Amino acid sequence: MVDVAESLIVTAIGPPKDRWIDFSVRFRTGAEYVVIPLFALALSGLLFALFLLVLGKSPTQFFELVVRGGFGTAFSIQNTLQRSAPLILTALAVAVPARIGLVMIGGEGALVLGGFASAVIAIPLVMGKASPAVTLIVMASAGIVTGALWVGIAGILRHARGVNETISSLLLTYIGIAVMNFFVEGSLRDLTNPNKPSTMPIGEAYMMGKITGTEVHWGLAVGILLAITLHILLSRTTFGFAVRLSGGNPRAALAQGLPVGKLVVGCCLIAGACAGIAGFFEVAAIQGRANASLAAGYGFTGILVSFLARHNPLAIIPVAILFGGIVASGGLVQRRMDMPDATVLVLQGLTFVVLLTSETLYGRFKIFQVKGAVDRT
Amino acid sequence: MSDNPFLIVLVAMVGGALRVSTPFMFVALGECLTEKSGRVNLGLEGTLVLGAMCAYAISFHTGSPWLGVLAAGGAGAWLGAIHGYVCKLPRVNDIAIGIAMMLFGTGVAFFFGKAYIQPSAPRLGSFSLGGWTGSPQIETALEVNALLIVGVATALLMAWAFANTKWGLIVRMSGDSAPAARAMGVSVDLVRFFSTTAGGFLAGIGGAFLSLYYPGSWNQGLSSGQGLMAVALVIFARWDPVRCVLAALLFGAAGAIGPALQSVGITQGYYFFNAAPYILTLIIMTISAGSKRAMRDVPGELSITK
Amino acid sequence: MSVAAHSAGRAMSLQTVGMTKVFGPLVALDDVSITVEAGSFHALLGENGAGKSTLVKCVMGFYSADKGEVLLDGKGALIRNPRDARACGIGMVYQHFTLVPSLTGAENLVMSRADAPSVIDWKKERRALDQFLDRMPFRVPLDVQVSALAAGEKQKLEILKLLYLDQRLLILDEPTSVLTPGEADEMLGLLKGMAQRKDITVIMITHKFREVRAFADEVTVLRRGKMVGGGEVADLSTEDMARMMIGDTQIRERAVRAERQPGPVTLELVALYADDDDGLPALEQVNLKVHAGEILGIAGVSGNGQSQLVEVLSGQRPLTDGRIIIKEEPFEPTRNTFHRMKLFGLPEEPLKNATVPRMTVAENLAFRTFDRPPTAKLGWWLSPGPMRAKARELIARYRIKTPSPETEVANLSGGNIQRTVLARELASEVDVLIAANPCFGLDFASVVEIRARIMEQRNRGAAVLLVSEDLDEILEMADRVAVMSGGTINYVAPLGETDRATIGKHMAGH
Repeated sequence: MVDVAESLIVTAIGPPKDRWIDFSVRFRTGAEYVVIPLFALALSGLLFALFLLVLGKSPTQFFELVVRGGFGTAFSIQNTLQRSAPLILTALAVAVPARIGLVMIGGEGALVLGGFASAVIAIPLVMGKASPAVTLIVMASAGIVTGALWVGIAGILRHARGVNETISSLLLTYIGIAVMNFFVEGSLRDLTNPNKPSTMPIGEAYMMGKITGTEVHWGLAVGILLAITLHILLSRTTFGFAVRLSGGNPRAALAQGLPVGKLVVGCCLIAGACAGIAGFFEVAAIQGRANASLAAGYGFTGILVSFLARHNPLAIIPVAILFGGIVASGGLVQRRMDMPDATVLVLQGLTFVVLLTSETLYGRFKIFQVKGAVDRT
Repeated sequence: MSDNPFLIVLVAMVGGALRVSTPFMFVALGECLTEKSGRVNLGLEGTLVLGAMCAYAISFHTGSPWLGVLAAGGAGAWLGAIHGYVCKLPRVNDIAIGIAMMLFGTGVAFFFGKAYIQPSAPRLGSFSLGGWTGSPQIETALEVNALLIVGVATALLMAWAFANTKWGLIVRMSGDSAPAARAMGVSVDLVRFFSTTAGGFLAGIGGAFLSLYYPGSWNQGLSSGQGLMAVALVIFARWDPVRCVLAALLFGAAGAIGPALQSVGITQGYYFFNAAPYILTLIIMTISAGSKRAMRDVPGELSITK
Repeated sequence: MSVAAHSAGRAMSLQTVGMTKVFGPLVALDDVSITVEAGSFHALLGENGAGKSTLVKCVMGFYSADKGEVLLDGKGALIRNPRDARACGIGMVYQHFTLVPSLTGAENLVMSRADAPSVIDWKKERRALDQFLDRMPFRVPLDVQVSALAAGEKQKLEILKLLYLDQRLLILDEPTSVLTPGEADEMLGLLKGMAQRKDITVIMITHKFREVRAFADEVTVLRRGKMVGGGEVADLSTEDMARMMIGDTQIRERAVRAERQPGPVTLELVALYADDDDGLPALEQVNLKVHAGEILGIAGVSGNGQSQLVEVLSGQRPLTDGRIIIKEEPFEPTRNTFHRMKLFGLPEEPLKNATVPRMTVAENLAFRTFDRPPTAKLGWWLSPGPMRAKARELIARYRIKTPSPETEVANLSGGNIQRTVLARELASEVDVLIAANPCFGLDFASVVEIRARIMEQRNRGAAVLLVSEDLDEILEMADRVAVMSGGTINYVAPLGETDRATIGKHMAGH
């Protein structure tokens, strides 16, 4: 690649001492961003273990079951990967707006509405006997567009009126779930199904298949691909640079003539699209229809995943797999240790609080600091 | 008169508004106190749910619903204290912490609350504001709980305290200009810690109302978003406790439309009316956010509108 | 709280003995011993970073000195925090106001008392306040929210607060930076009167010789944390004081102004109107013309619309009416326009307005060029190699002191942050330059260098708009002077045809 060669030549022209200094500065800054979240993860694990002890349960048994249920057998690994797919996508839905400085948590709503839209748009296509490939493409598009628009609303409200995006995206999530329930229980309800209210199933023939040789659906591949693409977008394109500039200091961005408002809305559309695709996969690859199970909390877990990965799309992949494992092992843990399924919620909440508190540790340890000349005050 | 459906719906709405508004009132007043001191606590949704569960559980175990109310306040104070302590550490994002506390509080509530979904616990009593009308329907429709009166009294007390007591002014100072407060020797972090804890206490009581009075049971769907709406409510009320009560009544009315219509047999669109409070909240936030008057009244240190 | 009339001799004397304060590698104060007589008006003189603020903060209890002690009226005083200082009778008026904006003046005054009552009886307090005001040399409305007061009134209220609290030693930290020359003279004159009557002692931190000459009895000069001289003001000339302040270090040549005829009008502001963040009008019909090859300095007390004017010109604030014309074309704050019209800016507080603190120096240097070749291929793909190469070049050329181009810019000193912004903005051909308080808070060497670079651009033919709250800076750099007051330009004149007094009058709004 021309770039690599170029940068090698350029840095080679600079004296070797400079190259080492550059590298060590970058390494130390980067190390801080990895060590502290890992520390936070370990600390929250410790606190949760204490919590279990107080309740008379065995922490070692818990962690053992999580490892076994999430990563122990080929079956459990595939189950984990299956659960990681939507987590990667909903985490991306938080990460991209985070880079432009927004705390946007509307992934759950965009997922639900994206899945709902794909299920609904499938109905006329399935009834008209369209080809599965076309149906799936149309469904995916519906999911993407709906999800993008839903989070886009929060972005527009923030840009045009300064409405706090955390509150508005959360409100939109509640609204989205209510809208879906309204239609699913009402006009779009599949009346042949007396049990759980849902839309008409799209049918086995139309469902998305699994990645050949595995039990995991294509959502995982799409998720990983999107994560890599968005990482490249944020770090190696002018769009990404503009986004990071605006997120780092909106006033400076305006002074540079950047269209901050458009960038905000753009990031929200991308975020919503990611969550919408997740909804599409939930419908097309797993459920086959839209109902209240779409609101399974992937959106909220995705928030934690993104924060733990420091909103870096590449780091989101391993973190999502970790949490996919925790979620996947939830059933096993619940049965074996006789604990409510809210256990995972407690663990997630605790981890999130500890992680956010650990933000205070940045800049405190000399080993990570490389200061310039000091000013007099 | 008793057969006029329009009147029935109207009275049902008034009663419903009074009932539904009470938890909003408590959460809003708690958040008002917290925000006046310069902090935003978005985690009150979790506080509401945890308070509801604790109230129900303690009432079940001790037989006294009012002990349950106190326990709910205590649980809320505990969550508020965590929020208040953590947010004073440098570089911690108080908006993200609020979301984390919401998830944590809800998780803890569901975890311990699973055992209390089935059993029945003693509830809070009620008295009727319509006892004098002689019409049994109006009397039933206007049944409220003492907590409503407590809420209104708290609001009046807060409004008076903000203008006429040293502590009230210290809270306002901490929220408006931390450097000025510090220059006067006030420990701003401590003030915010206590305000957030007290705010959590009030929000917890709001939760107790939900599980021990109306709707009067504990389950995992008890609250969805009411704590969040209360935060928006405070902005709409421009951080004035009395206006918080009025805004809570407005939200109560919006939330009471669905059940009121149901009482005369209109059951369609249930979920649409469920969405009404959220949509109202979003509209209100949009209007307040651009409003110059709100911007003038905002406590200067609040990060939500900076 | 005592409402008895002031008695003579209440003023306090202050002595510091061997004050030393160290922050890591930086020795902010080095064995500083000063004596301030009771009832004197004592100036503490020194350039930015000399240690004046640090000394005063140690006296006030914000810092605990590593060594040394404070004597009040000859007796040792233990001051561990600001509350102790206040209890001893020492009060300070800060550069940034310490009044609470949403509270009224009365609420601010009552709450500032250590013995403020738990429940406030406003009738009683108002009566006491009225009696207090009757004894004061100036009045301020007390029932208005502080946010609605003008800067001069806020400053007076700050001082009233200290007198209300019965403080006997007043420390003023650069008190006139937010006042017009007229307001400053009035206030300092009143305080000097009170000092002469031995009601109070005043210590004034300043870097302005004029104020020292006009009001102070004695002066102490600090340089690099050490006490280097002092004495009766009457015995010292301005040159003496300057030499003490700056020392014998070789100063780079002051910026040399090239003789030239001003060129055509490059920047024209036509009837600009804009609002501030609260929706109140900040700019009201601003008209201005700047020619190529000239520096137009806008003087004025802060808070008269200067910040908003700069924000409008840099795209951070929308206009509600009016037009900006650059080289006869209408101006839109888009990236393309900035590039095409060669418009660059040095905003005030660069960390807040012009940099992304968590991004690296290399990235910050690339703000103007990241979407153009050679850094951007095909207009959208970023190459880090060329970015880094250009960064190294600029770091060398502008002598930015940084361990590496990959250091986060927040880790640099103030002077180097401003150098980074300078390097980025002045690296290419500049036709229009908007600079706002570019040297605020910087050390002397950085100040000289930055002014020299700005002058360089002016000599090369750029049209420079220099907005500054430091009148001395304007008088040194500008070809023409304008005054901004009340949101509009009320005076424009070539430097040779005006003087400080006239400018001062217009700054006050006449």
